[in-house]
Amino acid sequence: MKKAPFLRSYTLFYLLFLYSPIILLPIFAFNDSKVVAFPLAGFTLDWFREMLSDQNLRIAAKNSLIIALSVASVSTILGIFAARASVRYRFPGKAPLMGLIMLPLVLPEMIIAMALLVVLLSLNVPLSLFTVIIGQVLITTPFAVAILTSAFQSLDKSLEEASMDLGETAWSTFRLIILPLVMPGIMASFLICFTISFDEFIISNFLGSGQPILSVYIFGQFRFPAKVPSMLALGTVLVCFSIILLGIAEYMRRRGIAKAGGKDSGGFL
Amino acid sequence: MTFSDDRPTMIEFKDVHKYYGDYHALRGINGTIKAGEFFSLLGPSGCGKTTLLRTIAGFEDISSGVIMIDGKDMAGVAANVRPTNMVFQSYAIFPHMSVEENVGFGLRKDPRSKEEKAKAVAEALEMVGLKGFGKRAAHALSGGQRQRVALARALILKPKVLLLDEPLSALDKKMREHMQVELIKLQRQVGITFILVTHDQEEALVMSDRIAVMFEGEIAQLADPETLYRRPATRKVADFIGTMNFIPAEILSEAGDKVEVNAKGLGHVALDIAQAPEKTGEAPVVGLRPETLTLLYDDQKAPERETDGVIDEVIYFGDMTYYDVYLGGTDVEVRLSMRNVPGRPVLDVGTKVRVAWSPSALVLFR
Amino acid sequence: MAQTPGSEARTGLKLISPTAIYVILLLAVPLATVLMYSVMTGGRGNVSLPLTFENYTELASKSVYGYLLLKSLMVALIVTAITVLLAYPVAYFVSFHVKPERKSLWLFLITIPFWTSYIIRVSLWFVILGYDGVLDKTLMALGIMDTQLNFSSYGIPAIIFVLAHAYAPFAVLPIFVSLEKVDRSLLEAGQDLGESRWVTFLRVTLPLSMPGVIAAALIVFIPTVGDYVTPKLVGDGKQPLIANFIETQLLKLQDFPQGSAFAVVSMLMVAFVSVLFVLANKRFIGGQK
Repeated sequence: MKKAPFLRSYTLFYLLFLYSPIILLPIFAFNDSKVVAFPLAGFTLDWFREMLSDQNLRIAAKNSLIIALSVASVSTILGIFAARASVRYRFPGKAPLMGLIMLPLVLPEMIIAMALLVVLLSLNVPLSLFTVIIGQVLITTPFAVAILTSAFQSLDKSLEEASMDLGETAWSTFRLIILPLVMPGIMASFLICFTISFDEFIISNFLGSGQPILSVYIFGQFRFPAKVPSMLALGTVLVCFSIILLGIAEYMRRRGIAKAGGKDSGGFL
Repeated sequence: MTFSDDRPTMIEFKDVHKYYGDYHALRGINGTIKAGEFFSLLGPSGCGKTTLLRTIAGFEDISSGVIMIDGKDMAGVAANVRPTNMVFQSYAIFPHMSVEENVGFGLRKDPRSKEEKAKAVAEALEMVGLKGFGKRAAHALSGGQRQRVALARALILKPKVLLLDEPLSALDKKMREHMQVELIKLQRQVGITFILVTHDQEEALVMSDRIAVMFEGEIAQLADPETLYRRPATRKVADFIGTMNFIPAEILSEAGDKVEVNAKGLGHVALDIAQAPEKTGEAPVVGLRPETLTLLYDDQKAPERETDGVIDEVIYFGDMTYYDVYLGGTDVEVRLSMRNVPGRPVLDVGTKVRVAWSPSALVLFR
Repeated sequence: MAQTPGSEARTGLKLISPTAIYVILLLAVPLATVLMYSVMTGGRGNVSLPLTFENYTELASKSVYGYLLLKSLMVALIVTAITVLLAYPVAYFVSFHVKPERKSLWLFLITIPFWTSYIIRVSLWFVILGYDGVLDKTLMALGIMDTQLNFSSYGIPAIIFVLAHAYAPFAVLPIFVSLEKVDRSLLEAGQDLGESRWVTFLRVTLPLSMPGVIAAALIVFIPTVGDYVTPKLVGDGKQPLIANFIETQLLKLQDFPQGSAFAVVSMLMVAFVSVLFVLANKRFIGGQK
């Protein structure tokens, strides 16, 4: 590789820019001062204690967990159906249907949230965690489909044929061959949908009827300066959590490619 | 490599057609494959040979016609219950399983005990020369080893027919030639009908009892290798298999079992009707294989006919030399091959030569 | 397995039906409803017949709507331009100057911030840039400044800054992917033909990577034009963009027809700009032949 000192330092600077607010999280989360500013005042775990004792935060976290687990499960299952159908079969209406499924990727989220809200209100459906789940699944399914499509695509069709040829039925082939080979893709899809759902704000805010949900709760708390340090503590925890999940997802994806005997050709998306 | 016609029929095609939408992939396939035969489907890519193989396996439905395997109509019979097994072009080794698990995959519903199955797997591995490889991970295998695993996996089920979809195309030349011989030996050992799909005419000639040459969804000729080589049914078959010189000719007369032609540069020749396959309506040409033409040195005499010529090009191959020669003062150029034996010098371009040939080696396409 | 075209289509449709039914009921139907509401009359929480185009003429006649749409469009386009320009050298560096086995690691590093809570990232800027924020207090404590800079109250520039930061990692990946596809021998050919490295970049690499640049632009443009959180937090909430305005119309004023019409027009605007991007991309691909 040719050396490019200028480009290299630019890239490092760019990374610093990307990470700059995140780096502040652990710094001030452990800083022994109500005032978020330099110079630092000393080390403390108070903010983490405050975070842990916050009753509303606990409810919000529990709700977010319920939502994210449901959303990740539902959209991964819907993604499996759609990805398998689009990779393996030709059928009428395939392009418009796949287009509709992927549409939320190119539609402002606010519009999806409002359209759904208008319909729910006119049908007198009470807003709840359930309506949040319904809405978020629309947002995360395209990601699940994208990840799973590449997982199904890297599957050699002759593996399925070989299994059928050796006496297995369509269903046992799915169970013995396809499922184990796309399992890393399924795990990656689940983790990524989980992460997106956990962070999602607009739908949680508008379709949740004020139920405490983590992202909405965080958004509200940052307006109170006194609450900021404990929010920074929470942010630190969440960032660590995201990085661990991402690491697992990336590991799964690579293992999936290695298993199917393919070559690594890039990261997420 | 002779094949006896009195063996029972294993597979029979009756007017098999296959359409993909508007595309007519198989256009009326007829023919039989005998039990225990090493049969090849040979043709350029897109000729329908793989499609035909996949219709036997049950991976593709046929649009019309009948495929019988061992006397049973295969219409509506799914791939997983057909008495055929396939070795895929990509080998389709299950990457998440060990060699053992791959080979034993088809035995899942076999009522035999675990020990007996393990013994069967070990035997199958030994048969393909992979004794002791059972515990290896599938992705740690070389191309040749993968192919052996695929073979063992298919043969362990003792199918009536083994289907091989270009199984050697992914191997390098040395390995390919080695595996050709191994496959022939294996087929003799197990006695199962082998159907090989290949685009490599040499491979088909070396391995097969009989070959079906396919072009554009049709079987152009179905014959044993020698007939195919010496008496190709059409100019296209002749061109596809080996090298053949085509010399424009004029049909002078046709009476009884004799055809008399005037071939440019060769002169009048009387041919047996057996040397003239069915008419296809194309402009008449006679075909001659390069090795049926011989250069005459010094005062050698031609056993049958000879013609004067001038060497236009010399292509030296080590064991052989190819000469392109203008025949009898015409613009007809033929290629001929000479072994480079001691005392037979390689000649130069422009040398005037005499070419010996035999009327019985000619084939007339008309 | 053995399938006629008819049975293949049936199996395919059967497989996709759960997902398809889901998106038809919960996406297509709501979008159609919004479209229908936008041509109905009514106000404060109800809609009724007759059908009318009044909502649209209202949008066209009042400059406040046009101003809002244009402002949101400008903000999104500026953010898009900034992110893409900043990301290109990074993508170029990773594609051309990083060893193949290290590329994944670099990409991973670049994508991590994208996967960490968006709300937290934006809120952090509020903490940093806002009144009494980290920046101001630090600068004052160090004696560099004696009054609050309060950058966050700068409105539009603050929104642009925060959005450009939030969506930065989006732009790197597509550009990187298109740069990876550039045949390295073409570059050698360019230099072999006597072009300098810079000219080779302008004449070969840049045009070949344009599809990635345009994909990056689209990926940044769509979420930024519909962003809700940033205008609310930074910019003191005094600079609503499309999403905030839709909220006001539909939820606070409960004006369903007017709000729907505005949502439809915003959607059309986003679609129009996206189509322009895609057309530009087609031109580039066509121009390469």
